[in-house]
Amino acid sequence: MPDLIAFTLLLAITAYSTAGGVDFGAGIWDLLAGGSRRGREARALIDHSMAPVWEVNNVWLVLAIVLCWTGFPLLFQTVFARLYPLFALALVGLILRGAFFAFRHIAEAPRAHRIADLVFGLSSLLTPFFFAASLGAIASGRLESFSLMSIAFGLVSLAATAFSGASFLVGDARRYGAIELVGYFRRRAVIAALALIAVGSAALITIGFEAPDLFRPMLAGKGFPFALVTMVLTPVVGFLLWRGVLRWYRVLTVAAVGSMVFAWAFAQSPYLVPGQLTIAQAVAPFSTQVLLLVVAAVVLLVIGPAMGVLYYLDQRSALESPET
Amino acid sequence: MTSALWLASEPALLPSRIQMAFTLASHVLLVPLGVALPSLTLLMEGIGLASKDPVALKIARRWSVVMAVQFAVGAVTGTILSFEFGILWPRMLGQFGGAFGLGFAIEAWAFFLEAIFIGIYLYGWERLRPRTHLLFGLVLPPAGLLGAFGVLASNSWMNTPAGTTLKAGKVVDVDVMAALFTRALGYEFWHFLIAIYMTAGFVVASVYAVAWLRGRRDHYQRLAFAVPFTVAAVLAPIQLVVGDLSARALVADQPSKFAAMEITWTTRDHNPEVIGGLIDANGDIHFGISVPSLDSLLVGYSPNAVVPGLTSVAANARPTIVEANITHLAFDLMVGLGSVGAALAVWHLWVLWRRRRPPESIWFYRLAALAGIGAYIAVETGWITTEVGRQPWIVFGVMRVADAVTTAPASFVWTMLTALVVIYALIAYFFVTLLLRLSARWRREDLNQPSEPEVGAPYGPRPRTFTA
Repeated sequence: MPDLIAFTLLLAITAYSTAGGVDFGAGIWDLLAGGSRRGREARALIDHSMAPVWEVNNVWLVLAIVLCWTGFPLLFQTVFARLYPLFALALVGLILRGAFFAFRHIAEAPRAHRIADLVFGLSSLLTPFFFAASLGAIASGRLESFSLMSIAFGLVSLAATAFSGASFLVGDARRYGAIELVGYFRRRAVIAALALIAVGSAALITIGFEAPDLFRPMLAGKGFPFALVTMVLTPVVGFLLWRGVLRWYRVLTVAAVGSMVFAWAFAQSPYLVPGQLTIAQAVAPFSTQVLLLVVAAVVLLVIGPAMGVLYYLDQRSALESPET
Repeated sequence: MTSALWLASEPALLPSRIQMAFTLASHVLLVPLGVALPSLTLLMEGIGLASKDPVALKIARRWSVVMAVQFAVGAVTGTILSFEFGILWPRMLGQFGGAFGLGFAIEAWAFFLEAIFIGIYLYGWERLRPRTHLLFGLVLPPAGLLGAFGVLASNSWMNTPAGTTLKAGKVVDVDVMAALFTRALGYEFWHFLIAIYMTAGFVVASVYAVAWLRGRRDHYQRLAFAVPFTVAAVLAPIQLVVGDLSARALVADQPSKFAAMEITWTTRDHNPEVIGGLIDANGDIHFGISVPSLDSLLVGYSPNAVVPGLTSVAANARPTIVEANITHLAFDLMVGLGSVGAALAVWHLWVLWRRRRPPESIWFYRLAALAGIGAYIAVETGWITTEVGRQPWIVFGVMRVADAVTTAPASFVWTMLTALVVIYALIAYFFVTLLLRLSARWRREDLNQPSEPEVGAPYGPRPRTFTA
């Protein structure tokens, strides 16, 4: 049962890495879209596709945090007592991004608008980098905020969010019939895929030197199937987008990024902090575990269909204006 | 003296307390509209559908835009709070997360549900059939209620902890039901729930009270005022009773908090009720109005009722003099504002009952316009009363705030605090600007030709195509 709770926690982290990642990825491309005039088209699409996602992706984050402190209080304490600078920086990015995304809708002066764009874009770098850096610091087993491992994880997450962001924006550009932007984001998705492969390989080498105990199960143990999926799917998505085969690429993007998170988590299981804290050591008392799972099960029964409805309505474009 | 010693031994204590207070005080301002505005909006939409009144539907749709912006900001400030538990109070969560966290585990899922359905509701205007749209919206109030339940279960646990078995300082067993439904939950939940519905009603109505004072008195303004104000007016007198029950429960549950609220120095009968006023380190009261025996009467319905004093608790286990004074003044302010609100409510209900229309006195609308701000202040002061009154404990009688605080250097917490203050100020500025601009635009539209209320708002139904 502790494993099941750990798995729920992993699912929340993975969901945030993909859903939140797509969101922040869009922010990264917003930052790279260039000056006000040149980036106008791209920014309009980013605005348009991010609007319904707004800050709701924070739900995954809150869920992960709450599961962590209720299910594994000791892990929560250990991690936060050591890695608080990383979390503080990630949080600053999170609020700045939310605030300035909303603000650029009300900024009227071009200069204020430009500043809002800039802050929004920059903060989209902070959050994924520092959240992932904290995972890197955990994976190293040494819980050092600023180390090779934390930086490597942070950089991988930037490449991954840029990759998933671009891939999803291709989909949105198609849906809204913005032909030029399909090509625009396709090219960027391919570049991001290449960057992800490069940074990912570098990170793997870093893990090999810095955390050999994590490296082995990642390439020859429990983490390997997931690592393999990532290593295969990332180039596949890149290839599909390069060739303009616009099918399956979004699902595969999610699978590629999600497997990366799984590869890390399974490689270090049963440890929550390698060499320091196992799932069994950190888990909350039995009855708390039961409640957590009962609540999760009940709510999944409610939330599952609810998500289904939302998806159904969205796909039928029932949530968009009729043609004007 | 003792608190000064803790400050010396825990350098991050002061900035951590300030940061927590600041971020919670900000977040709590968003809660009333976040939890209760969906209900008011749905009520208005229901009225619109039932009476086929397009004006009511227009009001509901505009409120839903405010709801969206509010929810987005609240989602961000709420996320910050959940991280702060780890950044500022890691030892409290490490030790008691398995019990304290239960409520939050429920809240997180409720938040999830709310986010999904608020999305469907916001983006579904005129895209879904009216009845379907209303039906989806009806999930929001219970989800908000469940979320409030979770948060208050956790807060109540901090006030009246229960359900944990400790062995060598480690929680080895949790009785889930006992930890969720602690003694304080019974009164905290209802008191807070009524408070936020009341606040939402007064705040929303106050906007239209201002419009009334400025001479806009058509059907739109009247309806948008009457519905939320009536909701608040029905609740305000009930709140007096629930608030009274809550305060009296504290006599047994948290005597030191009650003593601070009433600045009672020694345990005694015939205790006077001090309104306003300050207590000093010798237990002498300065300023204020003292009503003989009233406190004893209120607590035990008899002047002979014995009321606990601050000195009934060891000096290092009760609020300091400064904290006691803050608690007392906050409590008095809350009660005073609540009483004025209730009086205003009775006025409204009386005229409504006798004349079948809202009051028309200009003074009524002046007070109603102020009621919005008053309600916010009452929520803040109520929250200050319960949090400051609990000091020096983070978990009442079990763990001190000083023993829970982070070991991070004070400079780190000060820096983070400064950054948060600056960013929150920016958010507040954007938030208010956005709302003012929306309201100005809606007013212009009512004079000219109508368009969709979400134009210019960050969230709302999207056109099928987008334009750069």
